[in-house]
Amino acid sequence: MPNWTPKTTSPVLTQRIPCWPFADPKGRRTIPLDEYTRTGGYTALRKAVETLTPEQVTEEVKKSVLRGRGGAGFPTGLKWTFLPKPDADGEGGVRYLAVNADESEPATFKDRLLMDFDPHLMLEGIALCCYACRIQTAYIYIRGEYHHQAMVLEKAIREAYAAGIFGTQGLLNGARTRNRDRAWAVECHVHRGAGAYICGEETGLLESLEGKRGWPRNKPPFPAIKGLFGRPTIINNVETLAHLPFIIGQGADAFMQQGCESTFKGAPPSYGTKLMGVSGHVNRPGCYECDLGIPLKVLIESKDYCNGMRNGKRFKGAIAGGISMGVLGPDQMDAEMDFDIGRKYNVLGLGTACPTVFDQDTDMVAVARNIARFFKHESCGQCTPCREGSGWLYQLMTRIEDGQGRTKDLDLALEIATSMGAMPGTTICGLADGNNWAIRTIMNKYRDEFEARVKPTFVPVKLSVGAGAR
Amino acid sequence: MPWITKPSGTMKVARRNEPYLTPEIRAGLERDILPRYEKKQGALLPTLHAVQHRWGWLPWQALEEIAAFLGLSPAEVWDTASFYEEYWLQPKGSTLIAVCRSIACECRDHTKVTEACKARLGIDVGDTTDDGKFTLVEVECLGSCDTAPVALFNHTLHENLTPEGVSKLIDGAAAGEHHH
Repeated sequence: MPNWTPKTTSPVLTQRIPCWPFADPKGRRTIPLDEYTRTGGYTALRKAVETLTPEQVTEEVKKSVLRGRGGAGFPTGLKWTFLPKPDADGEGGVRYLAVNADESEPATFKDRLLMDFDPHLMLEGIALCCYACRIQTAYIYIRGEYHHQAMVLEKAIREAYAAGIFGTQGLLNGARTRNRDRAWAVECHVHRGAGAYICGEETGLLESLEGKRGWPRNKPPFPAIKGLFGRPTIINNVETLAHLPFIIGQGADAFMQQGCESTFKGAPPSYGTKLMGVSGHVNRPGCYECDLGIPLKVLIESKDYCNGMRNGKRFKGAIAGGISMGVLGPDQMDAEMDFDIGRKYNVLGLGTACPTVFDQDTDMVAVARNIARFFKHESCGQCTPCREGSGWLYQLMTRIEDGQGRTKDLDLALEIATSMGAMPGTTICGLADGNNWAIRTIMNKYRDEFEARVKPTFVPVKLSVGAGAR
Repeated sequence: MPWITKPSGTMKVARRNEPYLTPEIRAGLERDILPRYEKKQGALLPTLHAVQHRWGWLPWQALEEIAAFLGLSPAEVWDTASFYEEYWLQPKGSTLIAVCRSIACECRDHTKVTEACKARLGIDVGDTTDDGKFTLVEVECLGSCDTAPVALFNHTLHENLTPEGVSKLIDGAAAGEHHH
């Protein structure tokens, strides 16, 4: 096992959820408001409202280089500064916060843990974000399949309203804010989705919140300028917001002690801890909190985490973090799980940092077929390259899996994959890029398996022609 | 595949006198949901959820009533309702069994679970039993990959399923055990 010691000694996001070091999932329960407050909850919000101006809160988050935990890794503080400047009165007109709890990426189940067991951590993060960005209304867009989590959240929000955290009287029962000596009122609502992966894309999410089909919008204008109902809107992931109480409560310096620096010169660092949900062929699949930069091998083999591969099998590969990020090959088990992973290991990026691990017996062609089916099913149909290409890729993968493929199908699949996506510039959103990277990395890293399954395009016939014939 | 539509010019609409958007649902929405959104259309998804929760699916007449309620055209309501997988535009069984088929569940043999459901119910994926009690579907990731394979029985998630376990669950549901 690689030599790696965690920098974080006690969990940050999961301090109230027994999950790291490993604990039986049966011991988990939803933390109610009184217990949350008793164990230090809402102190960061009080500190922010009573002693810090919104600008100081934003500055602290910017200093911490907290990068978005939803997949793209965009610096949160920087995103907040894209909002239009507030007017002389310190207000910025109507603004919205849309919390992205539409966790539909296959293999990803980290936000569910937070919403299931410690919903107030996220609510405190929402309140902090609303204070820092002068936002009056927050919507939590939760995916339709999370029935239980939506109920837990609604109960937690009712508790928070009853305790005067949200509501017209202002944050924390109308506590006077430092900058204006007035209260800042925040409303918070749950909005349930209805089973569409594309609504996890930020502008698709906004369309869905407006009651339309979840078709991503062309950018610019970016949501921070013109978002929900045409107003400036911030969209943050659940886990990103759950980090805010720690950053404001303990300070950005404490946050920067965790995680790791980038090994590339000038690239933004990967500070902080991250929830990593490991699934697939390991002994103890589950959601663990670790420092960014943990090698995948440690995550799989350590007794604190997954405790080795199931049945002592060998490692064959792993999805880097949600299937749209692509696949880590058999020789990439040492990959460090941080935001550099994309540049180092030929995958799209860290994504949600939720690897699905495959053992030696896994059929990678079947994996590719499953992934292609997912994207075909979830393509929203707005852009032609993605709508058609995802279907073609699924047909090709099924054909290869059934043993009916030809050698030229491999090149055709790669050609289709490379030509779709926002990065070749043929689609509006990144869904096709996910499809592209997933299929491309599997086909490149397990080329031999695909080649073994296809028939040659040109079948040699035993016929001699030309001068050399005898 | 939400973009595949059917010709609607010759569509016959079944109608009845009582509204699907009952006064109770209407009052609940007006009290709790409508004030949350700047524009009335924002309340469309919650409204569809509420009506479907009451009736199990969304008949065309219900969509028209929702359109009138929110000040939209029926086409706008249809546009949204037909996009999302969770809205049923034809009747479904009283228990909806949704087996997850995404990558983590496939790694842990979700196909055996689906096969067990098919054998126990005697239907194919996508079909409803003749008595109208069960509908079986396969869906993409349910977000519980650590406990794969998983399936939703209406609103209840069942984890670490085995073929025997899922048959037992179906027996329980058939005997009237309630799944929300």
